[in-house]
Amino acid sequence: MPHSARFPTLPACQAYGICLVATNPEQNSVPKFDVTAQMAVMNALIEAIVIMDDRGQIKRCNQAAIDMFGYTQDEIIGQDISILMPAPDSTNHSTYVDQYLRSGKAKIIGIGRELNARRKDGSIFPIHLAIGEVAYYDSIRFIGMMRDLTDNKKDEERKLRLHTDMITASRLTTMGEMAAAMAHEINQPLAAIANYASASERMLARGSDNIEDIKVALAHIKTQSHRAGDIIRRLRSFVKPDSVDLGPTKMNTIIDEIKPLAEVDAKANNISISFDVSTNLPEIIADQLQIQQVLLNLLRNGIDAMHENAPEDRHLELHCYIATPDTVRIDVIDQGHGISEEAGKKLFHPFFTTKATGMGMGLAISHTIVKSHSGALSFSNNLSGGATFSVMLPTKMANR
Amino acid sequence: MTEQNETVFIVDDDEAVRESLSFLLKSVDIQSQSFASGDEFLGAFKPEWEGCILLDIRMPGISGMEVQRRLVEQDCTLPIIFITGHGDIPMAVEAMHLGAHDFVQKPFHDQELLDRIQAALTARREIQDEVEQKRIVQQHYSTLTPRETEVMAAVAKGHANKVIAMDLELSQRTVEIHRARVMEKMQVRSLAELVKLAVLLDE
Repeated sequence: MPHSARFPTLPACQAYGICLVATNPEQNSVPKFDVTAQMAVMNALIEAIVIMDDRGQIKRCNQAAIDMFGYTQDEIIGQDISILMPAPDSTNHSTYVDQYLRSGKAKIIGIGRELNARRKDGSIFPIHLAIGEVAYYDSIRFIGMMRDLTDNKKDEERKLRLHTDMITASRLTTMGEMAAAMAHEINQPLAAIANYASASERMLARGSDNIEDIKVALAHIKTQSHRAGDIIRRLRSFVKPDSVDLGPTKMNTIIDEIKPLAEVDAKANNISISFDVSTNLPEIIADQLQIQQVLLNLLRNGIDAMHENAPEDRHLELHCYIATPDTVRIDVIDQGHGISEEAGKKLFHPFFTTKATGMGMGLAISHTIVKSHSGALSFSNNLSGGATFSVMLPTKMANR
Repeated sequence: MTEQNETVFIVDDDEAVRESLSFLLKSVDIQSQSFASGDEFLGAFKPEWEGCILLDIRMPGISGMEVQRRLVEQDCTLPIIFITGHGDIPMAVEAMHLGAHDFVQKPFHDQELLDRIQAALTARREIQDEVEQKRIVQQHYSTLTPRETEVMAAVAKGHANKVIAMDLELSQRTVEIHRARVMEKMQVRSLAELVKLAVLLDE
C-alpha cells in the first residue's frame, strides 16, 4: 500500500482529527496546515474517508474510498451518500439523518458498527463504519471512516469451516473404528439370506412338494434384507456431510437412533450394554448429529477401556435423565481402568490419548461440541471401578 | 445325508443365522438342533450325542473358543466346525491348534459348508469305527491266557517259533499250539493281521 508506506507511523485517529480541523479553511484561530498536506494525509490512510453535508451529499473523499467503492473522484463528489449503501439502508438513510438532526439521537454516530456497503459495480461487502460530525459554518458535516471487513469475514468462515471439517473427520474416524463391528452385523443377515436362497434352490431342484417351506424361506429373505438395509441406512445418516443443523431436537430421538449402532459395537467387543433413558425427556437446542457423535464417542471409549476385562466385568451403561429443570444429563458408565490423575489433566487436550491406536481427537472434539451447545462435559472415577463421563445440556426452555 | 442318530448342533447367537442354517441342512436331509448361546449348548450337552458341532466363534457371553475348551474338559470328541467372521482368522487358527476340526468364514457358500459338514461327519464315523474296532480287539485280547499273551507278543515281534520256544523254555510243538490258539482267539488268519492288531493294542 503506497500511501501508508509514505506515512508509516501516523495513526488513523490523529489523521482523522487533522482532517476535521483542516476542513474549515477560513478560521484564523486554527494552526496553519497546508492543503496539499491535508490531502496527502487523508490519502495515506488505509481507511476510506467520505465527508458529506447535512443533506447527505458527498463533499470529499480520500483515495482509499475511491479504491474501495470503484468510483472516480468526479463520479462520487456531489452524489448522494446512499449510492454507497445497499437497500434498505440506501432508501432509509435520509430518514436517519433527518431524525438525528431533529432529535439529536444518533443510531450510529460515535458508536461505530459493522454493516454492508455497495460498490459501483453493485457488489456488496462488509465494512466497519465510524461516523464523526463537525460544525461547518452554520451547518454540520459528517465524516465517515470505513474499513473493509471482507478478509476478516473470510477468515471467520474459514475457521468455522475447519471446525466443522474437524468434527466430520472425527465422526468418520469413529465410524472407521466401528467398521469391523458393522461389517459383522451386515454379514449376519447376508449369511441368512444366502442360506435360505440356497436351501430353496435345492428344494426346487428336488421337486415342487416343498412349496410351503420355500414360501417361509422367501419371507425370511425379505425380513433379513430389510435388516441389512436398516444397518446401512443408520450408517449413512451418520456419515452424511457436514452441515451444522441446529434446532429443537428430542433427546429421546437422539439416543434411540444411536442405540442400535452402540449395541452392534458392544456386541462385537463382547460387552453387554444397557440404556436407562427417562421417557419424555425435554427437547434441547442442538445439532442432533453432533450430540450423537459425542455420545457414540463416549460409548466407544467405554468399550475400549474394558478390553482387558474378564467376561463378567464387561458392562457399559448409558443413563439419560433430567438433572435440573433446565438440564438434561447423560452419564456413560464403564467398568474399565478409570482415569489416572495424570491422564485426567490432559484428557480434553487434542492428540492426548491412552489408547494404543487412538488419535486423541475424540474427547477434545466432544468437549468442543458440548461447549458449543452451552453444555458441559465432565468425568469422574466410579467407586466400584471404571469411569463415568457426563454430558450436561441445557433444555430448550433454559435456552430461552 | 446323515445316519439315523447323527445331528448337527448349531450354536450361534444370531437367530436368523441359526434358523437359516437349520433350514439349509434340512434341504439336504441333515437333522440339526440349534442353541442361542454357549451356555445353552453346554447346559444341554449329553456325552452320547453323535454328529458334529457348528460353533460361532464370536458370541456374547461365553465365546466359541471357551465352549470348545469346556467340551474338551468333558471329553467330548465331536468334531467342531467354527463359523468365523472376517477379522477372526487368528482366533480360528488358534482354535484349530486346540483341536477344532475345521472353520468356515462367513459369508460362506452353501456347498462349501455342506462339504465341510460331511467331511466332519465322515471323520467322526471313522474315529467311531476305530474306537469300536479297538474295543472288539481288546475284548478278544482279554480272553488270552498269560502264556498265549507272551507268545503273541513274541510272534508280533517277528520271532520264529524255534526262538520263541527257546526264550520261553517250551517245546516248539507247544509254541505252535499256543500260536494257533492266539490266531483263533484274535480272529486273524495271517501274521500280518496279527501284527496290525498288536500295534493297535499298543496305541
